[in-house]
Amino acid sequence: MALLLDILTTVAILYAVASGLLLIFGVMKIINFAHGAFLTLGAYASLVASNLGLSPWAGVPLAILVGALAGMVVELLIMRPLYARPLDAILATWGLGMVIGQLITLAFGREVQFVASPVQGTVNVWGTDYSAYRLLLVVAAAVIGIGMAALLTRTRFGLITRAVIMNEQLARGLGIHSGAVRFITFSVGAGLGSLAGCLITPLSSVDPNMGIPWLMNAFMLVMVSGASMASLLLATLLFGAIQVVVSTYFSPILGGLAIVVLAAITLRIRPKGFARD
Amino acid sequence: MLRFKPHALTAALGLSYLLAASPAVAADAIKIGVPVGLSGANSVVAPSVVQAAQLAVEEINAAGGILGRQVELVVADDGSGAVGAQKAFDSLIFQKKVDVLISMETSAARNAGLPILARGKVPYIYTSFYEGRSCSPWMHVNAWVPEQQVPPVVDHFMKAKAAKTFFLVGSDYSFGRGMLEFTRKYAEGKGAKVVGEEYLPMDGTDWTAVISKIRAAKPDALVTSTAGGAPNVTLTKQLRAAGINIPYGNLAVDEGTAKGMGADAKGIFISASYVTSIDTPANQKFLAAMGKKFGADLKTPNDLSVPQYEAVYAYKAAVEKAKSTDSKKVSAALSEVTVDGPRGSIKMGKQRHAPLTMYLGEVQADGAVQVIASFKNVDPGSQCPNLK
Amino acid sequence: MLVVAVAPFMLDSYTLSILVRAIFFAMLALTVDILWGYTGVLTFGQSAFFGAGAYAAGLVFTHLGFSPEMAALALGEALLSAGLIALLVGWLSFYHGATPLYASVISLVLPIVMTQLLFSGGTFTGSSSGLTGYVSFDLSLEAWFWWAGFALIAITALAWRFVHSDAGRLLVATRDNEMRCSYLGINTSTLKIGLLVATALVAAVAGFGYASFSGVVAPELAGFVFGTEIIIWVALGGRGTLIGPVFGALLIECASAYLGGSLPYVWKLLLGAAFVGVIVLLPQGLLPALLARWLPKHWATSAKPAVTLVEAAARPTSGAQATEAVALRGVGKHYGSLRVLKDIDLVAAPGELVSLIGPNGAGKTTLMRCMSDGAERSSGTVHIAGNDIGRAPPYVAVRYGLGRKFQTANVFATLTVAESLRIARTRLDPPSLWRRAEQLALPAYALAVLQVTQLDKKLDTEARNLSHGEQQALELAMVLAMEPRVLLLDEPTAGLTLAERTLIGQVFLDLTHRFGLCLLLVEHDIEFVREISTRLVVLHEGHIAMQGSVQEVVESELVRTIYSGAAATPHGASA
Repeated sequence: MALLLDILTTVAILYAVASGLLLIFGVMKIINFAHGAFLTLGAYASLVASNLGLSPWAGVPLAILVGALAGMVVELLIMRPLYARPLDAILATWGLGMVIGQLITLAFGREVQFVASPVQGTVNVWGTDYSAYRLLLVVAAAVIGIGMAALLTRTRFGLITRAVIMNEQLARGLGIHSGAVRFITFSVGAGLGSLAGCLITPLSSVDPNMGIPWLMNAFMLVMVSGASMASLLLATLLFGAIQVVVSTYFSPILGGLAIVVLAAITLRIRPKGFARD
Repeated sequence: MLRFKPHALTAALGLSYLLAASPAVAADAIKIGVPVGLSGANSVVAPSVVQAAQLAVEEINAAGGILGRQVELVVADDGSGAVGAQKAFDSLIFQKKVDVLISMETSAARNAGLPILARGKVPYIYTSFYEGRSCSPWMHVNAWVPEQQVPPVVDHFMKAKAAKTFFLVGSDYSFGRGMLEFTRKYAEGKGAKVVGEEYLPMDGTDWTAVISKIRAAKPDALVTSTAGGAPNVTLTKQLRAAGINIPYGNLAVDEGTAKGMGADAKGIFISASYVTSIDTPANQKFLAAMGKKFGADLKTPNDLSVPQYEAVYAYKAAVEKAKSTDSKKVSAALSEVTVDGPRGSIKMGKQRHAPLTMYLGEVQADGAVQVIASFKNVDPGSQCPNLK
Repeated sequence: MLVVAVAPFMLDSYTLSILVRAIFFAMLALTVDILWGYTGVLTFGQSAFFGAGAYAAGLVFTHLGFSPEMAALALGEALLSAGLIALLVGWLSFYHGATPLYASVISLVLPIVMTQLLFSGGTFTGSSSGLTGYVSFDLSLEAWFWWAGFALIAITALAWRFVHSDAGRLLVATRDNEMRCSYLGINTSTLKIGLLVATALVAAVAGFGYASFSGVVAPELAGFVFGTEIIIWVALGGRGTLIGPVFGALLIECASAYLGGSLPYVWKLLLGAAFVGVIVLLPQGLLPALLARWLPKHWATSAKPAVTLVEAAARPTSGAQATEAVALRGVGKHYGSLRVLKDIDLVAAPGELVSLIGPNGAGKTTLMRCMSDGAERSSGTVHIAGNDIGRAPPYVAVRYGLGRKFQTANVFATLTVAESLRIARTRLDPPSLWRRAEQLALPAYALAVLQVTQLDKKLDTEARNLSHGEQQALELAMVLAMEPRVLLLDEPTAGLTLAERTLIGQVFLDLTHRFGLCLLLVEHDIEFVREISTRLVVLHEGHIAMQGSVQEVVESELVRTIYSGAAATPHGASA
C-alpha cells in the first residue's frame, strides 16, 4: 500500500515539475534549461512568504507571479533571438540558470533554508499512515493537469496555442500573432515551474541549486512526451512507477537513473516517444 | 520579519579583502590559511567557522601576537570537494605561502589536500569531526572520530530506549560510510541487530525509497550520517512527514543546523564535543566575545567552529613551545601542547588525535540541545598507529 | 613552443600548477570544439570520457599500486574504456535519421549515468569522495608543465592539420548539410561515431594526465556540470576555431583560480552572464570578436591553396554491366491509412532518359525518395544497378551508383565550390586526413557543367554567396562528380531561362547518349520533356497511369483527362 502511495505521489511531483517545461517545449520547440532556476525562484518565493509571516498558502500565488514575471523578462531579452537556434537556446537557458542561481545566492546566501509545510502530520489511507502533504500534492498535480487541459481545449488562447503547436507557419498565415503566443506560453511555463518549486519546497529544503536535480528528470520526461499533456501523464506514470519500484527493491541510485535511462532508450527505439503520430 | 541576507553579498565580495586589509598586518605576519567550503555542501557551516577563526586571531593580535608577530588569516574556498580543495591548498601553500593551515573540510577535500600538504611541508590542524584513520605526518586533528561519538548514542538507545534493532542511513562518501560502518560493528558487538543500511549520493535529497525501506524493516532505532546541509535536513523533514518517530540519532547534525530545522528536529539525539550550553567560564567568555564581535550576524557557534577557535590557540602554543614557525618543529610541538578552550583542556597527543569530553544531547522543540549525559575524556582509540 | 619552454622559469609554482591543470582541460575543450564547433554535435558528455580516463588512473594506482607497467595498464584501460563507451554512445546517438537534439540528449544522459555509477561504487570508486592519495609519476612541476604543454601543442597542431585537411572538411559538410552528405554516399553515422571515438580517446588521455598530475579523482570530473563548463570555455573562446577554445579554457581556468577564491559567487555570475551574452549576441565567441577588432582580416583569411581542376581517369566499369539501371517492383508507400504510392513497377536501362510526369500530389517526389532511401517505402523492392537497397539509408543507394539532385539547391553553405566538389569525390578519391590536395579530379561531364556555368572561375567562393542558379549548377556538378549510373533529378529546369534550359537539355542528352547514364526526371515542363526523353511515365494518384514513348503518352486521351481533372495545367508552376 505504501508502495502504491509512493508511486502515486512521486508521479504527481514529477508531473507538476515537468508540466511547465512541457508547455514551453510543446509550443516553442525550445528546451528551457532555466526551468530548474524557475523552480528555485518559486521555492524562494515561498521562503519569502513564510519569512514575512504570511500564511503558508500565500507562497503559491507569489511563486506563480514571480516565475511568470521572470519568464516575461527572459523571453523578451534572451529567448527572442534564439527561436531559430534551438541548440543554442538550450545553452543560453542553461547559462541563464547559472545567473539566476548566483543572483539568488547573493540575495539569500548559500545556506540551506526551510519552509514549514502548510499541512502537518499523516493521514491514514486504508491502514497506512502516509504524509498528508504528499497526498495533497497529488491533488495539486491533478489541478495543474486539469487546468492546463482546460486552458488548452476550452479557451481561445488554447485554440490558438494548439494551432501554433500543429503548424506554426500556417497559424501565422491565418493571422495569429505567434510572437504573442510564445511570450504568453513562456511566461505561463515559467510560472508553472515556479509553482512546482513552491510545491516541492516543504518536502525538501531551499538552496540556490535545488532545481538542477529536478531539471534532468523533467527534461527527459518531456523528451519522451512530445507536446502532449496526456502522453506526459502516461510517461510519468510509467517511469515514475519504475523509479519507485527500482529504488525500493534494488537501489535508490539505480532508481534515480531509471527515468533518464529509460527515456533515452525509449527515444532510440521510438523517436516520437509516447506521443502519438 | 523579512530575512534577506545582504551581508552574504558583502561577505562574498569583501571577506578576503577585509581580512587581508586588517590594520595591524606587519610585514612578517604569521599567516594562517583556512581552506573551507564557502560554496557547496559545507557552505552551511563555513561562515561560523570563519567567524570563530576571526575571533581567535583578533584576540591573539590584541594580546601581542605569536612570538611578537601579528597573525593574519587567509581564507580560501574549497568548494566542499576534492577538486576545489586542491586549488585552495595550492593557492594557500604556494601562492599565499601560509605558515599553517587550520580548517574543517569534507573528507573528500581533506584527502585531496593531504598530498599537497606533504609537498609544501606545512602543518595542518584539521578541526572537523570525521570518519577516522586519516594520517599524515603534517596533520593533527582536534575533533572527534567514531570511537568517541558513536558509543554514547548506541548505548543510550539500547539501555534507555530498549532498542534491539537499528536502521542506518547515510550519504555515500567516506564520512557517511565510515561512520556507519563503525556504528554497525559497534552495535552488533553489543548484541543489537542492524536491519538495514542505505546510502544516497551526497547530493541526494529524495529519501522516499529509503523511508519505505525503514517502514518495512520496522527498526527500534535509527542512526543517520549524511552530508551536512541539504541531505541532512531533507531526510529529517521527510522522516517526520512520514510519521516515523522512533529514536533517531543523527551523527552529522550540529546545533545550528538543528535550530534551522525547527520543529522537525525535536527529539533528535546528537553526540558532540561541544554544545552551547556547556556551563564553564571558558565557554561563557567565548560566547560573550563572539556575540560582541559579530552581533546580529553571529552564526551559532557549534561543534565545527569551536575546534577551529581552539586550533588557532593550539598553533600559538606550539609555535611558542617550538620558539619558531618551522614546520617540523611546530608539528612535533602540536602533539605536546595542551589548550584550554570552550571545550575544556585538549591535547592532540594520541597519535595526532585528541581525547575529548563528549555530550549526549536531545534537541528540544525550540531547537536548543538538552544535555542528557556527558562522558569525560573519551579516548579516540588507535587512529594512526604508525605516527606517534 | 618557446613560451612553453621558458614559462617554468618565469612563473611561480602556484601559477604553474594551475596552468598544468588548465592544460589538461584545454585538451578536453579541443575535443568539444571538434564535435560542436566543426561538426555541429552539441555534446555535454565529453566530461564522461575525461572521467573515464581519470578514474582508470585513479583506480589502478589506488588498488594495484604505481609502477611504469601499471601506468601503461592504466593508460590502456583509459583508452579502452573511453573507446568502448564512445562506441556505445555513438551507436545510440548517431543512427540514421537521429536528430541533433537526440544526440545532445544522449550526451547529457552519459555523464549522469557515469557519475551515478561512480557514486554506487562504494569504497571501490570512493563514491562521492572520489579517490585520493595514490602514488603517481614522480615528476617535478616544471617537467609536468613541459610534458602537458607540449602535448597540448601537439594535439592542437594535429587537430588543426586535420580540420584543415580535405577529410576535415567533411566535418563542416556534415554540420552544414547532413542529408546532402548522405546523398553523396557518405555514411555520416560512421563518420560521427568515428569522430566521437577519436575525441573520446583524446579526452581520456587528458583525464589520465589530469589524474596522474593532481592525485585526485572525483565524480564531478565525469559529471554533467563539468560538461557544461567545457561548453562555456569553447563558446567564449570561439567555437570552430580550435585556438579559441584552448585559450578560453586556459584563461578562464586561471582567472577562476585567482578570482574564484575571493569572489566565488560574483565570478560565477559574470561567467554565466558572459556565456548567455555570447550565445545570444556573439555566436562566434568572445576571442574571435576581440581579435577581429585588433587583427582585421589576417585572422579570417588563412590562405587556401589554389585548386586546379583535372579530368579524372576513366574508371573501368565493374564487370557485368547490369541491364537494369534501376528497377522498382511492387513499391508502395502509406502514411497510416493514406496510401501515397501503390504498386509501382518501373524499370529503366542505362542510356535511357525517363521523365516522370503527373499533376501535383501524384507522388513523384515521394517515388524519388523511395528510390534513394531504403527506409522510405512501405512495401516492394528497389534495385540500383542490380543491387537491392533493402532498408538502408541513402548513402547505400548512392554507393550502388545513384545520384540525386533535389528540387531546391541542396549544397553546403559554408564550403567553397572546390571544397564541395572534393566532398562529392570522397567515395571515389578518399581525401587525405593530413593535407589539402592541389588537384581536383572530376569526370568530363562534371567539368563540362562547371565550364558552361562558369563555376570553374569561382572555385574559392562559398556556396552561400553563389546565385540561386549557380547553386543549382553546383549541386548538379557535385552529384555528377560522384560518377553515378543513375541520376534522379527533381525539376532541374525550374527557374531557368530558356537559354539555360537548352543548355542543360544538351548536358542531359550527352550524359545518356555518350556516357550511358540512366536519367530519371521529375518535370512539369512538357515541352522540355518532349524534347529530350526516351520514355514518359505518368503518375496519377499514387500509381502509374501509363508509360510509353513520348508520342504515345502525349497523344493519349488518358493523360489529357488526368491533367484537366486534376485542375493543374501541364505548364503549371512547381509545387
